[in-house]
Amino acid sequence: MELEDEIFNDGLPKAYYKHDDNGQYVLETDAPWAEKVSCALIISGNRANLEEIRKAVLAGQKSPIYYYMEMRQLTSGMLAKAAGIAVFRVKRHFRPEIFAKLKPSVLNRYTNALRVTLEELKTVPNI
Amino acid sequence: MSTEILANGRTYIHRTSAHCETGVTSALFCDKGFDISEPMIFGIGSGIFFGHLPFVKWAGLPISTFRSLPGLVFKKAAKRLGAKVVRKHFRNPQKGMDELRRVIRTGQIVAVTTNVYWLSYFPRRYRFNFNGHNLIVLYETENGFRVSDPALREYTLDCSTHDMERARFARGPMEARGLMYYPLSVNPNPDMRKACITGMLDSCKQMLKIPIPLFGVKGIRYLAKKIIKWPDKLGNVEACRQLAHVVRFQEEMGTGGAGFRYMFAAFLQEASELFESSELNGLSNEMTAIGDIWREFAVVSARIIKQKGQAEETFAKAGGLMMICAGREEQLFKDLNNVVRKLKA
Repeated sequence: MELEDEIFNDGLPKAYYKHDDNGQYVLETDAPWAEKVSCALIISGNRANLEEIRKAVLAGQKSPIYYYMEMRQLTSGMLAKAAGIAVFRVKRHFRPEIFAKLKPSVLNRYTNALRVTLEELKTVPNI
Repeated sequence: MSTEILANGRTYIHRTSAHCETGVTSALFCDKGFDISEPMIFGIGSGIFFGHLPFVKWAGLPISTFRSLPGLVFKKAAKRLGAKVVRKHFRNPQKGMDELRRVIRTGQIVAVTTNVYWLSYFPRRYRFNFNGHNLIVLYETENGFRVSDPALREYTLDCSTHDMERARFARGPMEARGLMYYPLSVNPNPDMRKACITGMLDSCKQMLKIPIPLFGVKGIRYLAKKIIKWPDKLGNVEACRQLAHVVRFQEEMGTGGAGFRYMFAAFLQEASELFESSELNGLSNEMTAIGDIWREFAVVSARIIKQKGQAEETFAKAGGLMMICAGREEQLFKDLNNVVRKLKA
């Protein structure tokens, strides 16, 4: 099964306006093909990106914060706002050696913002 | 259809709609005893729009919107229909949640603006950081809230307190800051004709008269020209990503198919019955035709994405279709402007 069918079979359907044979507008639930394709492209792009980052984290080039930020589809600016930490500090914390020295109080801010547990935040899933 | 009993014993009927905000507004008004359809709200609130914002980045990609700013439709529709409304932002999440609880305990249903990503009942494919999804909170349950999401089909759902707080107070572009809104009272016999005329004229103004080339018909042309240049400028992979983003905006955050064009056509159809004007009906058919072109644009774009830009469908063709849309929409709104000016309130 292709990705687009897979992601569109999951969860509740949305409604779409459609012109019926009598010229009246009715609601139907079939997602248009174009939506499925573009949605699948974006999602597969995101997944590939996330996978790459996971490998980078495992290789010790990035800190796990970077992975979880990407997983939650945030940017560094959004994460900084959510965690209440300045953007430049957030970016600094993407470096593994600096991340390793972070205090629990700072880590707690990240766990709240990213909604992961403290243990999760220290590693990335290793499949 | 599913029904729910509210805190003060009234019943609420969940009706599905194609778009969150218009659906929510229509549901709020229906709950107050003023029956109004979703397209009517969309037209009166002047929801139709186009804007391309290259400097507002969303996951690294520029925003192109096919409707007016989230929140505006409700505001405008309420004003034009003579409804008294309450709209509140909160700095403090705790205060926001307390206020929400207080209001729904009185049996008043409340619409809240949320971030889609944190709503766990939402289908995964739609969950991305977008701070503009509206839904209705019905009453409190044991560990959360009972909500009615008009954008989803025929269900009322449970949403945990944690999710709700997180979704309402998510940070990022266009923060909702816990926005909640509900009508205090709705005029049971508003002047529909006057409201429709104001709505239509405002739509024309939005589409034709904004003197910045990023909005309205000019915005469509601007984006069309950009799309034609993308493959040379960005390379095929990136161009496909950008195009997919535009299509996603059109199909998904729009009501599906053709942005909000079909919904506006449905509005014109209803308005033509209200005014008994055949001209409006003609414009409605024209709008449907434009919607079909938008859909064709989406299909062509999807083919480009699927083939990774190698075969006969080109970016030039997609951009060209968009140009046609721009031309026809310009004509349509000019005609609409002339027609509406002749109508009597």
